[in-house]
Amino acid sequence: MTSGHTIFEMQLIKKKRTRELLLIWFFITPSLVIFTLYRIIPLLWNGILSFQFWSPYKPPELAGLYHYEEMLMYDDAFWQVLWNTIVLMASAPVGIALALFIAILVNTRIRGRDIYRTIVFLSYPVMTVAVGIIWQWLYNEKVGLFNYILMSLGITDKGIPFLQSFDLALPSVIVASIWQVIGFYMIILLTGLQSIPPSLYESAAIDGASAWMRFRRITLPMLKPSIFICFVIGIINSFTNFDLVFVMTQGGPGHATDLLVTYIYTMAFKLSKFDYAAAITVINFLFFLGLTLLANKASGGEAGAVDVGK
Amino acid sequence: MHRYPRWPIHLMLSFISTLMLIPFVWVLKTSLTGENIFTYPPSILPENPHLFYYVDVWYSIPFFRYLINSVIVSAIVVAANIVLNAMAGYSLSREFAGKKIIIVLFLSCMMVPFQVTIIPAYLITKELGLLNTYLGMALPLCSTIVCIFVFKSSFDAVPKSLIDAARIDGLSDLRIIFRVLVPLSQSAIATNIILAFIWSWNNFLWPLVIIRDQAMQTLPLGLSRFLTVVEDTTGALYAFCIMVLLPGLIIFLLAQKQFIAGLTRGAAKG
Repeated sequence: MTSGHTIFEMQLIKKKRTRELLLIWFFITPSLVIFTLYRIIPLLWNGILSFQFWSPYKPPELAGLYHYEEMLMYDDAFWQVLWNTIVLMASAPVGIALALFIAILVNTRIRGRDIYRTIVFLSYPVMTVAVGIIWQWLYNEKVGLFNYILMSLGITDKGIPFLQSFDLALPSVIVASIWQVIGFYMIILLTGLQSIPPSLYESAAIDGASAWMRFRRITLPMLKPSIFICFVIGIINSFTNFDLVFVMTQGGPGHATDLLVTYIYTMAFKLSKFDYAAAITVINFLFFLGLTLLANKASGGEAGAVDVGK
Repeated sequence: MHRYPRWPIHLMLSFISTLMLIPFVWVLKTSLTGENIFTYPPSILPENPHLFYYVDVWYSIPFFRYLINSVIVSAIVVAANIVLNAMAGYSLSREFAGKKIIIVLFLSCMMVPFQVTIIPAYLITKELGLLNTYLGMALPLCSTIVCIFVFKSSFDAVPKSLIDAARIDGLSDLRIIFRVLVPLSQSAIATNIILAFIWSWNNFLWPLVIIRDQAMQTLPLGLSRFLTVVEDTTGALYAFCIMVLLPGLIIFLLAQKQFIAGLTRGAAKG
């Protein structure tokens, strides 16, 4: 403010500023309320719940570390479920590598590449519940397509019950989940590929670098941010992939395909053990948070690329 | 650059495309097939195709009811997202005390997957009396942080000089929003519509938790319920699948460019 203003002008400016601030706060309040109601309060409440004995019709009692002790010491299913979640997460790099291969293919200057891109991406917008039903049908023991192909090729002479088998159920679900998400990975990687300046490749070609060298020295380093985004999506997927498991196997056989998120759902909404489920949720969240921070560090803090106050 | 033969690329891509399309083709075939589903060996193309299963779905389950429920919830979510996110995005593009704290708060909320808060979120919804309601299904999705930031960066990109000029012309802040900022944010709005629509249309876990009343079920709930009440060899199940897939696929094919731009933007931001 320059000193040339009169008191009257100053008051006017002040009044205008107050009105501006009112508008700003009025505009941001609804979103703040929603996030407080559905993210912040639940997160805190969930933490409290995990240290309580609680059921819908009884007053809460302090439980201390009871639920955590039960989970970590006595609940074998918990460890299995945690392991399954890790296995699903570990499958993400496979999907990303395949997607990178496809992305490089559809990035070449060939006819019909838009059609190929569309086809590969087509599975992503499909409702996951429907994906689950489609795939359990493909895996069907008696009349599924996969068993038909395997039998025609003479690999097996009896139908394999993919989703009922302790060994094959989880890999089968993982294949379906890769099928669904691979198009999305491809698009992200493709966007990354297209942002690499062609001049880099041209000068490398002049220097006589082989295709493999160009891939190693130019493509991969330049794609690092895109690959990182894919990894984060893979991690989030493994923690949130409820629909597919719920539809295809309900977590079975036994707990062979149960993930943390489906286990929490079963505990809370089927067995009404809300307090115990809350404790698993806390572990789930801490695990997720730790991984994301780790991934962020590994990528050199690029997850912070969200424009903060820029 | 030296030339290379194209046919191996076409060959590989055709192979990959076939793999990606097989599940669709197989389900489409099952839903149209006139033969007994147990016929062995199964034919790859449907024999005597007919639409019996589709008619079956229409009459044997309340498909229309599910559809209407899904449309209502998605409409609430999409409308609320555009309005609320644009409002919050506008606030964040202005200067005010406490802005830093709010941004940090929003970003930390982004680190909390909704699945993690589902138990208390259910209890809160129960307290609010919103179990078994459209609003209850829609409310948690009514504002999304990713889209708030999409709006913020879109508003930030509007040249300051333009806003100053409008202000000198005597336009109020509200007028500036409607006359200057909103018309310049078409692509942010499109991104928002698309993301909000997919999130709510495909949403399964949340409605599963809070909807008990069958008359309130949305398409994914109806579909998964249908799977549990019939044998998985029922042709109608797959006709139902196709009927659920089609709207999403059609929207995607019509607005492919915007759709992908929206998704990659959303992903890049969060």
